[in-house]
Amino acid sequence: MSVLLLLTVSALAFGAMNILGDPLFNILGPVALDVDNPESVELIQAAEEQYNLDDPLPIRWALWLGDFVTGDFGVQFSEDGEPPVRDLISERLPRTLQLLVMAQVLAALIAIPWALWTASRPNSKVDRASTVTSFLFIAIPSFALAVMLKWALSIKLSIFPLAYVANDTFWERSFQMLLPAITLALPAAAIYQRLLRTDLITTLQEDFILTARSKGVSRRSVLFKHALRSSLFSFVTIFAINTGALIGGALVVEQIFLIPGLGRAIVEAILREDFPVVLAIVMIIAFAFVILNLIVDLIYSLIDPRVRSS
Amino acid sequence: MNDPKDIDHVHLDEQAQSLVPLIAGASTFHDEGDTETATKRRLGIGFWIAIGWIATIVTAAVLAPWLPIKDPDANLIQPGERPPYSPSSEFWFGSDQDARDMFSRTIWGARISLTVGFVAIAFGMVVGGSMGMMAGYFRRRWDAVVSFIFLVLLSFPALILAILITSLMDRTLFTISFVLGVLSVAPVGRVARATTISFADREFVLAAKSLGAKHPRIIVRELLPNVVIPMAALALLGMAIAIVAEGSLAFLGLSVEKGATWGKLILTGAGTRSLEDAPWISMAPIIVLFLTVLALNFAGDRLRDYFDVKETAL
Repeated sequence: MSVLLLLTVSALAFGAMNILGDPLFNILGPVALDVDNPESVELIQAAEEQYNLDDPLPIRWALWLGDFVTGDFGVQFSEDGEPPVRDLISERLPRTLQLLVMAQVLAALIAIPWALWTASRPNSKVDRASTVTSFLFIAIPSFALAVMLKWALSIKLSIFPLAYVANDTFWERSFQMLLPAITLALPAAAIYQRLLRTDLITTLQEDFILTARSKGVSRRSVLFKHALRSSLFSFVTIFAINTGALIGGALVVEQIFLIPGLGRAIVEAILREDFPVVLAIVMIIAFAFVILNLIVDLIYSLIDPRVRSS
Repeated sequence: MNDPKDIDHVHLDEQAQSLVPLIAGASTFHDEGDTETATKRRLGIGFWIAIGWIATIVTAAVLAPWLPIKDPDANLIQPGERPPYSPSSEFWFGSDQDARDMFSRTIWGARISLTVGFVAIAFGMVVGGSMGMMAGYFRRRWDAVVSFIFLVLLSFPALILAILITSLMDRTLFTISFVLGVLSVAPVGRVARATTISFADREFVLAAKSLGAKHPRIIVRELLPNVVIPMAALALLGMAIAIVAEGSLAFLGLSVEKGATWGKLILTGAGTRSLEDAPWISMAPIIVLFLTVLALNFAGDRLRDYFDVKETAL
């Protein structure tokens, strides 16, 4: 099923790119339209040969797919085709991945204590205030939060650096990425907290909690060991599902904090109409979605044995 | 059932005593939930404030050409001063680097942003809603086909589809709304299908059937009124999502090409230089956009609680 989905995505993307765009024009520029001049006709034929553009679409798709799965992402549509798309991706992808990992770790670090704190005193003033807060964070668009945080923390208070410098050391770059990661983490944390809090409150009303408490287990220990552990499964599920949404957020946030990751790469490629690059990035993100869905399915079958048999 | 009020009367040792607040805390939550059910049939003042804000923004956007506001594209250079101008009685939200009035630009931006949001969700409602209702009513083969289409649409990363199509097409108001509309078909359709199924076997539908009503009449007269009401809540949430999506596309350089949208206004003010010199250029549209999205979300949430929609797919 997931393989079928990836094939569909790649066929749709490849087809759309080739039918709606004009690859020949992207490679050669205005020369591609000049079919009367024998010199440009020669150029056109050479380019068609080089990029297999004279084959029918399905064959080109199959050729491209064969290259793609073996790790050859093709060449960029520019005069010399350098650097290969693969190099570009291997330069950009780790940055986006690091941003996502940092955001998710931060979100979990914020959400779990937050949820435990509010779930242990439901409907108190603190809890009500936190419900309003999480609603605000869930509603705010990532680009709006990014601009506001950049203005307040980087420009007004100068706590965080303004630029991402690719040549700095890993720790310096991680610090430069901290504010973008916080931007992604805050709404994510609000989503996780809301779910985990509801789940914890339900769990705390279960009989086994009462049993544990009457056997003399401390409040703290019940909350952490018994309630949190059984609620963690649903937390992990929403964690995985939300990663998909975070990818989209990361692409946008990269623009605002000027991090040269996949998001910047796709925008630059779109401007140049460089579709081997767009195609490669689209496929990588689609692949990430499919993997995430598989992980979610796996988690479901871990929680609920009935899913495993069906 | 472990009613904590019974536990109070049982002799407990000291450690278990401290359990009571824990459980009682949890049960207060539960009790409040019950009283909430009793008073649930009220939408509350917050809902009407949210609706009021939405109505104000929509009215301002619709009436923008006739409102006594400045021309959004005019360069209103003030003698002896260099733009951007900070907010003042002359420029309520300040002006941008080209001395254009941000207040009127924000209102004009609302025209495009709200249109995108409205057209997108209207498309989703009409196409997704009717597909979902047909699937839920006729079941069998229809259901299998429609459910498969929804599945494919849902498993396709929405953002990727949006990037893909908008990067290849002319980015007019129509195409952007259309792309976002297609993306909303599956989430809306699933809710329509689920709601229709829950009503399709009810007595009043059976009664209509046994009185000899044809399928179209049953769908339109009996089922539609029941499906439309919970869908209204979804429409508000969906519109918020579409408005935010337009903003995200703007930051990828893929929003509507002509005219100002909220997303594009924020983008122009989001550079480091203009945030240092003139934060109001991006803050004014951010605040208006945020309040609008917040109001749509809040009103949608309240409506959903009010009509108690179980399925929340959006």
